[in-house]
Amino acid sequence: MFSEQAAPTAQGLLAPPSAEPSTFARAPVSTYTDCTEPFRLGQRSFSRQYAHIYATRLIQMRPLLEERAQHKWGSGIAMRKLCELQAGEKCCVVGTLFKSMQLQPSILREISEEHNLLPQPPRTKYIHQSDELILEDELQRIKLEGTIDVQKLVTGTILAIYGSEKDNGKFLVEDHCFADLPRQLPMRGPSTNHFVLLVSGLGLGSGSGESLLSMQLLVDVVTGQLGAEGEQSSAAQITRVILAGNLLSQSTQSRDTINKAKYLTKKTQAASVEAVKMLDEILLQLCTSVPVDVMPGEFDPTNYTLPQQPLHRCMLPLASTYSTLQLVTNPYQAEIDGVRFLGTSGQNISDIFKYSSMDDYMEILEWTLCVGHISPTAPDTLGCFPFYKSDPFIFTDCPHVYFCGNAPLFSSKLLKGRDGQQVLLVTVPDFSATQTACLINLCDLSCQPVSFSGFSADEDEGDMEIGH
Amino acid sequence: MQCFLCVFILQVTYKWLSYTLGVHVNQAKQMLYDYVERKRKESSGAQLHVTYLVAGNLVQNGYICHKVAVVREDKLEAMKSKLATIASVHVYSIQKALLKDSGPLYNTDYDIIKTNLQNCSKFSAIHCAAAVPRTLAEVSQAHTSAQIDSQTPNDMQVASVPVTNGQVPSTAKQASQQPKGIMGMFAAKSSSKSQDTHKETKPESKETIGVSTASSKPPAKGNTMSNFFGKAAMNKLKASSESEQAKEEREVTKPSVPAAEPKLLPTTTVEKPGKKTEPVKIQKKDRKSRAKRVDLSDNEEEKEAENLKKKRRRIKQPQSDSSDNEDGPASSISQEDRAPTPSPEPPPKAGLEPASTEVKASTGGKKRKRRRVLKSKTSLDDEGCMVTEKVFESESCTDSEEEFTKAKPASLHRQSTAPVKKDPKEDRRGPKKGAATASKANKQVSIMGFFQKK
Repeated sequence: MFSEQAAPTAQGLLAPPSAEPSTFARAPVSTYTDCTEPFRLGQRSFSRQYAHIYATRLIQMRPLLEERAQHKWGSGIAMRKLCELQAGEKCCVVGTLFKSMQLQPSILREISEEHNLLPQPPRTKYIHQSDELILEDELQRIKLEGTIDVQKLVTGTILAIYGSEKDNGKFLVEDHCFADLPRQLPMRGPSTNHFVLLVSGLGLGSGSGESLLSMQLLVDVVTGQLGAEGEQSSAAQITRVILAGNLLSQSTQSRDTINKAKYLTKKTQAASVEAVKMLDEILLQLCTSVPVDVMPGEFDPTNYTLPQQPLHRCMLPLASTYSTLQLVTNPYQAEIDGVRFLGTSGQNISDIFKYSSMDDYMEILEWTLCVGHISPTAPDTLGCFPFYKSDPFIFTDCPHVYFCGNAPLFSSKLLKGRDGQQVLLVTVPDFSATQTACLINLCDLSCQPVSFSGFSADEDEGDMEIGH
Repeated sequence: MQCFLCVFILQVTYKWLSYTLGVHVNQAKQMLYDYVERKRKESSGAQLHVTYLVAGNLVQNGYICHKVAVVREDKLEAMKSKLATIASVHVYSIQKALLKDSGPLYNTDYDIIKTNLQNCSKFSAIHCAAAVPRTLAEVSQAHTSAQIDSQTPNDMQVASVPVTNGQVPSTAKQASQQPKGIMGMFAAKSSSKSQDTHKETKPESKETIGVSTASSKPPAKGNTMSNFFGKAAMNKLKASSESEQAKEEREVTKPSVPAAEPKLLPTTTVEKPGKKTEPVKIQKKDRKSRAKRVDLSDNEEEKEAENLKKKRRRIKQPQSDSSDNEDGPASSISQEDRAPTPSPEPPPKAGLEPASTEVKASTGGKKRKRRRVLKSKTSLDDEGCMVTEKVFESESCTDSEEEFTKAKPASLHRQSTAPVKKDPKEDRRGPKKGAATASKANKQVSIMGFFQKK
């Protein structure tokens, strides 16, 4: 993409100063629609039970699943509720999955004094051989066994199972199916190359300066300061930059005020203050040149529960004077130049990673799309707002670009759905670790990683991994 | 330009040069290159170390990655050979000493950007038409509209989903329930009081009226406290004409409902001294139920309609009344006491005094018949300090007895119900606090009120 266009004039700047340096106009965004309305919470009341989310999730997804089930196993199959089950009868049941895991951290066990248990140390994965799957619907629940991958599935998934109830009261599963990809609106992308840059995990305030130069290089490339003329003209075609969460580093999260004595922490500033100032400066540089969408992430100063609300503009006084700065929610949904984007800062994927045997972020990302829900483990293991009218995390229509931030590695995949849907799945890597960002071409839905590096003292001659 | 470069300290990046000279970044890059070439041709002693920026395609992890790297001159060729396609090469910086790592480059860039934050894209090769800083007016407009937006969805949510945004109605409910609780206590106390003072019909009727006012209070209290405050202020303003009588009414009635006051007017005037203890007690009860505001509002309402400043003083007076002050005679004295304290309401005081004296006179006769269990009396002592004393009066006590007996009434009233229980406490506290209250008389009464409640 970039390189091919730029190659002819690559060495053009290795020359005496030319009379008139060329400037390029930023490619304007022809259409932008912010579709984050379902994720914006007005007045938040937490006085409700979380059971309502599951109820509404089931109600919303049941018709979809019944249709899929009939499509898969024939329209003649019997659709039953759990209360109508008869032993031995082959039927199809739609319900919510619950995985009972013995290693799942339970707050009740932790605070229970009679067990005298120490709090469980955090693990990367909480799966165990003895985990069990249970299907629940509005009234009952039943244990599942049979051809169903217990380790892979997670709590909160809505699925349809086909099988029969056995004499021991358990349901023998012969087959199961998910909601699959929803229908997709046709994409009306731009005719020329327009790029969107996805970055996540800037990790400011970490105290280590390894990725700072890379970040500066990123900003310089996007704003057109770096590179020869060809590259600059290519960079002018970047119409948008999306920062997908974790703008602040995890190390800004430490709250000394809790652990240390007050006299030690009286005059110390929270680490996030300095980090947010840096963020403001970086955003200012970007905003003067390109529209930026800022999504909050796990370590950013906003609420913890999903959907995370936008960062407040008062934190970014310099950058928020520009209308090109957009503070958006996590998850984020928008239509940019006719291409529908949907993505999160990665909390949903990493939570499923912990409770499932799936290891690859791309696999999990694809799986959430197939299941039809952005974050099935919310609210069980991932904090979530107690919705009760509707579950905004259910896919209503299929996006064209579906991304998740803060993945360990970059990967992208073009997924083709059964009904002709085409989705570009992108896992955006953590910039502070990988110094890599993603460049998406809206014209043909292709994605290219862009990595930045400086040089450091411990580089050997002819070594391949300079800064990466 | 050359002489300029000769003077450079340690390193010059293209960005630094661009900002310092005010030239396009590309020109700066070319200038650097030019300088390096010339210097090298001259082959002067000084060694120049150059770093380059290289960008291009690189196959990495199965993806064609666009790589952008800053490399030292000696690694330049190696990097170029790694890249499948070279997108750009240009000079990044020149420095006198060999750089071990790219940290200092970042620092130089950071410093120069920091000093030029406001026009950081001025010399860039890309200009964005949309990136126009909003003026302060636009920003504030956007801010308010965002607030309105956030509020209107709330309203809409409230309208359409009353249960979801149950916070609003629930808080209102809670607010109303709490006053209800207070009022409930009031009502309970007033009813018990009525039991105590069953001897007099008038007091009973007053009690019932009081109860009715109490019951009517909850709805009034349904408003938030601020509304209540505002309402009270409004009421005060309204009732300015009936200040004296209104005051009496209020003193008699439990805090609040202005509507109830006119009702009590006819009944209260005569009973004022007798009722003094009632309102005092009620006030105390109010305080007990942590309704300082109730007291305040109570006082506000009790006071003649004045502005908030006056309200404040009003609060003082009845508070001091309740805090060990007695009724009629005491109140008049207390009002006189108030005179020395800066008060914007000499006229009301004057108005009050006659009212209280009148009340005093009128209630003198009634006292015998029905006496409030608890009375606190404020009197001015030699130095002009207020001294408040708690005096218990039995129902059958006469005026004279009131003044002198402090301990006696305590024993007499042991058998009374809850309201009376306050008396022993207050009695105990009364003598103790005689001096304390004197000094505290000029302070916020609320503190005394706190003790009172107990």
